[in-house]
Amino acid sequence: MKFFGGNDPNDPASRKIATLKEIPIFQPLSRNEILEVDELLHERIYEKDEIIFEEGDAGHGIFIILSGKVRVKSRCKLLDAVAPEFGPGELLGELTLFEEAPRVATAVAVERTVTVALFQAEFSALLTKNKSIGVKVLFEISKIMGRRMRRLLLQEADLPSV
Amino acid sequence: MKPFPQPGAVTLLVTIVITCVLLFLFQKMSWLVLPVLVALMAYYCLRPIVDALVVRGWSHGTAAKCVWLVFQLLTIALLLAAVLLLAAKGGTWQSNLDRYLAGGQNLLKQTAGSLERFVPRFQRMKLATLVDQRAQEFTGRFVEKNLVPIAMLMLKWLPSLLLVPYLTYFMLSDSARLKKYLIKSVPNAFFEKALLLFSRLDASLQNYFQGLLLLTLLDAVSLSLGLAFLGIGNAIWLGLATAVLAWIPYLGSAAGCVVVVLVAATDFPEKPWMAYACLILFLIVRLLDDYVYLPLTVGRKLHVHPLLSVLMLFLGGMAAGATGLVLALPLFGVVAVIGETVSQIVTDSRLRARYRAARHLAVSGGWT
Repeated sequence: MKFFGGNDPNDPASRKIATLKEIPIFQPLSRNEILEVDELLHERIYEKDEIIFEEGDAGHGIFIILSGKVRVKSRCKLLDAVAPEFGPGELLGELTLFEEAPRVATAVAVERTVTVALFQAEFSALLTKNKSIGVKVLFEISKIMGRRMRRLLLQEADLPSV
Repeated sequence: MKPFPQPGAVTLLVTIVITCVLLFLFQKMSWLVLPVLVALMAYYCLRPIVDALVVRGWSHGTAAKCVWLVFQLLTIALLLAAVLLLAAKGGTWQSNLDRYLAGGQNLLKQTAGSLERFVPRFQRMKLATLVDQRAQEFTGRFVEKNLVPIAMLMLKWLPSLLLVPYLTYFMLSDSARLKKYLIKSVPNAFFEKALLLFSRLDASLQNYFQGLLLLTLLDAVSLSLGLAFLGIGNAIWLGLATAVLAWIPYLGSAAGCVVVVLVAATDFPEKPWMAYACLILFLIVRLLDDYVYLPLTVGRKLHVHPLLSVLMLFLGGMAAGATGLVLALPLFGVVAVIGETVSQIVTDSRLRARYRAARHLAVSGGWT
C-alpha cells in the first residue's frame, strides 16, 4: 500500500515524487527522504470556494498547495494587502507549525485545489527522529517566513501613516 | 502538546455510558479484544526502540522488521523454556499444588486455633474444626473443579493469541499508513480536529501502556525485595508473577496475595507469622501502588480523577466482569478523548457550517 512505487517516471508514485520535489521546502531532500516525508503528508482536495481554514480556528499544521489557487483574507489589513493569493508550491499556515495558535487569516480555494497538510505533532516527531530531513525542511520554511516578514515590513513602510 | 481539556458533565456522562456499552460488547468478542490489547501493549513498548533505531539512521521499515524479529525470537525462547520446564517437572506439578493447598489449609487451621484461644465465642463455635472441614472440602475438589477448566480455557485462547505477533508486526510497520488511510475518509472541515484526535489517542494509549509496564516493574521490584528480605524462595519470580496478575484490578491483586501467602505458609509451616508478614508486605505494596506508583505512572498521564477511576472499575466489572476490570480505565481514556473532540465539533457551529457548505460545493461541482 505504498504511496510511491517503482522508478517508472509515468507511474502515479513517481509523478507525485516529482511534484513534491518541485515544492521549495522539499527541494533539498533526496528521493528516499521525500518518501519518508510523504508518510507524514495528508492529501486534501478542496472544491472552488471551499474554506481550507478560518481566521480564529485553532491551527495544528501547514498546508502546501500542489495544484490550484488559494485566496487569503484577514481582518489584519496589512496581511490582507500583501498576501492575496497563493499558488502551487506555496505553503499556508506556517505559524501554527511551531505553536498551536489561532489562525490569523481565512484561506479559501479559488479553484479546485489539491494540498498536502503537515501536522504539527508529526513534524515535531520528524525533527526528533530524522534530524537531517527535519533541519532541511525547517531551514526552507524559515527562509519562506523570512521573505514573507520582509514583504510585510516593506508593505508597512509604504503604507501612509495615520 | 497542551493538556487535554476537561470534559463537561454531559460529555462525561455520555463517555461513561459509551465505555460501559463498549465493555459489554468487547466481552462478547474477547477472542479478538485480548490479542489486540496484547499487541497494542507490545507495539507501544517496542515503538520507542524502533524510533531510537530510526534516529540512528535506520529506515523505519528495517527498524520495525528487526525489532519485531528480535521480540519474536525472545518470546519463542521464553515459551520453549517454559514448555521444557513444564515437561521436566510434569509429574510434580500435581503434588506441588497439593502441597501448597495443604500449606494454606494448615495456615487457616492454625489461625482459627489462635482465634479460638483469644475469643471464647469462636471456641464455642469450634471455629478451627469448621474451617478445617471447609478447607478440606475446597482443596479436595479443587483440581477436578478448577484445573481442567483452566487448561481448557488456555487451549481455547491459544489460537487467538497467535494473532498477537501478526498484529504487532503490522502495527509497528504500517501504523502511519493506517492512520493516513483513516484520515483520508474524514471530511475537510473536520480534518485538523481528526488529526488532533489521533495524536491525542496515540499519546493516551502510549502513556497508559508504558505507564502500566513501569508500574508492573515498580511493583515487581518492591515485592521481590520484600519477599527476599523475609527469606521466601523464588522471590523474583513470585514478585514478577504477582505484579503481572495485578493488571486485573482487585481480583488479580487478591489472587497474587493468595499465591504468595500459600507459598509462605507451605515453605514455613512452623512459622505462621511468615505468611502474615507476606500479607502485610502485600498490603504495603498495594498502598504504595495506589498512592505513590499509580499516580506517578498511569494516573498522572491519563488525567482521570481517582473517584472516577474507582467508579469506572466498578461499572466495568459489572458490565464485563474481569475483562471489564482490565479494560475499563484505558477504554475510558480513549472514549473520553474521542468524546471531547466530537463534542468540540458538534458544538462548533462554524465547523458544521463549513462542512455543509463543502458538501453543497461538492454536489454542485459534480453537476457542472
